Amino acid sequence: MAVVAAGFFVLAVLVGLAGLSIDRSRDYTERTLRTQVLEARLSEVQTQFERAEGSRRGYLLRQEPRFLEGHQAAVSALPQAVDEVARLAGDNPRQAARLTELRSLLSARAAARDLSLRQAGSGRLDEALAGFGAADSSRDVLRIRAIVDEMRADERGVLADRAAERRRRQGTVNLVIGAAGVMLALLAIGSLWLLRRYTEDLTTSRESLRRLNFGLEDAVTARTADYQRANEEIQRFAYIVSHDLRSPLVNVMGFTSEIESGLKPLQQMLAAVDARDPTLVSQDARNTIGEDMPEAVGFIRASTARMDRLINAILRLSREGRRVLTPEPLNMQVLLDGVAANARTKAEETAATVTVQWPIPDLIGDRLSMEQVFGNLVDNALKYLQPGRAGRVVVRGREDRGRLVYEVQDNGRGIDPRDHERVFDLFRRAGVQDQPGEGIGLAHVRALVHRLGGSITLESALDQGSVFRVSLPPRPPEQETSA
Amino acid sequence: MSPQQPVNIVMIEDDAGHARLIEKNIRRAGISNQITHFVDGGSALEFLFEHDEGPHRNGPALILLDLNLPDMSGTTILERIKASPELRRTPVVVLTTTDDKTEIDRCYDLGANVYITKPVNYESFADAIRQLGLFLSVIQVPEVEV
Repeated sequence: MAVVAAGFFVLAVLVGLAGLSIDRSRDYTERTLRTQVLEARLSEVQTQFERAEGSRRGYLLRQEPRFLEGHQAAVSALPQAVDEVARLAGDNPRQAARLTELRSLLSARAAARDLSLRQAGSGRLDEALAGFGAADSSRDVLRIRAIVDEMRADERGVLADRAAERRRRQGTVNLVIGAAGVMLALLAIGSLWLLRRYTEDLTTSRESLRRLNFGLEDAVTARTADYQRANEEIQRFAYIVSHDLRSPLVNVMGFTSEIESGLKPLQQMLAAVDARDPTLVSQDARNTIGEDMPEAVGFIRASTARMDRLINAILRLSREGRRVLTPEPLNMQVLLDGVAANARTKAEETAATVTVQWPIPDLIGDRLSMEQVFGNLVDNALKYLQPGRAGRVVVRGREDRGRLVYEVQDNGRGIDPRDHERVFDLFRRAGVQDQPGEGIGLAHVRALVHRLGGSITLESALDQGSVFRVSLPPRPPEQETSA
Repeated sequence: MSPQQPVNIVMIEDDAGHARLIEKNIRRAGISNQITHFVDGGSALEFLFEHDEGPHRNGPALILLDLNLPDMSGTTILERIKASPELRRTPVVVLTTTDDKTEIDRCYDLGANVYITKPVNYESFADAIRQLGLFLSVIQVPEVEV
């Protein structure tokens, strides 16, 4: 921009200089014209004067009337010529002084001529001739010629000065114009160069941006693929592990039952023996059969039952992970209203409310997954309320830089920031364990959200309520065909 | 199929504990048929198709099949049985830990007669086996009567 401004400034200066130069040139032309006119007038003055003098001389020599006529014509033309000279050169003090002298000399000569002509006319020719030869008369004539010459020379000198000055100025102007022209050319070249460089920079940065974008997309695609592969491996692993864990568990359960059913005849036998002869039964045997073994069996059963639940949970998760997603356009308002309606029965038990804030952006996704994600989040929100505070669960959604962000906010008991990662882990829970559950819900939710190409974050503090934020792409990524 | 020949039960189960539990519960259900037990697919197939005592050469049988075997998948054995003209009518009871729906469907598609998930809960397990026992007694009835 600065270059362009400088360019315009130089251009303006050039135009100004050119204007000035033209002005001066016109000035000079006028001046030259004036000098030429002045010279012509001076010549006229001299001519007419010489003519007057010549005519008088002729008359005095021949006394022919034509000389008188010529004298008269010259004398009548002379004042006008002198006035012209005065008009043209009167502004010059030197010329004005000369002019004054010229005028007085001319009038002296005119008087002298008149006198001699009158003398000649009245027959006193010798008197006239005496005056004609007077020394001062020829001196005056010479002086007049000299003055006219001086004036002509002066005027020429002035003109020469002006011409020199003009040449000098013109030189300067030419120099300035030349310099400015060079500068303009440089500026033009500079601007072009800059423009080219900017364009190149722009092209380069656009290109690199494009590359970066592609790189980013590639990176995202690669990472998504990596993630999906890892996810699939985990799913397969979970599936195999849970199956292989089940096999021994069947044995533990089965043979525990065998022991348990074997205990009954043992206890009956003990009772029978006891009834016949109590001394035959040791206290140890009585304790073992009567209390310790049933207690041990009870613990084994409780543990295997829990293990069975956990294995089933893993199986369910892995099955969910292997389920083929069927993306379809979802009306999220309707879907979330449905989720809220399902939770309402539970909400009414604790006088809690579930509201879905309008408007909610739609997306393309797997219906069942979305229902499970938000169903779980709303269930959790209603499950972990702050005692003494009416539960308020709000579901809302918005679009943010090409992604869809849905939030489930509650005013419940909150989650300690230290547990924010933990709650998403399988079988991990946080806070007071006063609610039933295996620690599966959020792990399931996160797995689902990841499968849909999204992410889930948590914002919460103890007693401050929680916000679970699910960020999803407008449509799920292409699924790899999993075996 | 000779009516004089009793139905032999061929149990293909790699887990000795499971095999014992299945056998115990079958006996508890009052079924006394001979049970031949194999712990891998290879020897089971050999018995089914090659052995003199096997069902291919030696009369009716019922096959209890576990899907998770060390040397091959149970579905391979199922396929072989159902592809054989001599054995394809032999009832096959798939008895396994997998309760995956696609797996179950696959077994029925291959011609399995009954699919039983081994429940971890022992009571249901015993129930399932007793159901199986009832099933066995039903198919056994005509042969006993003759």
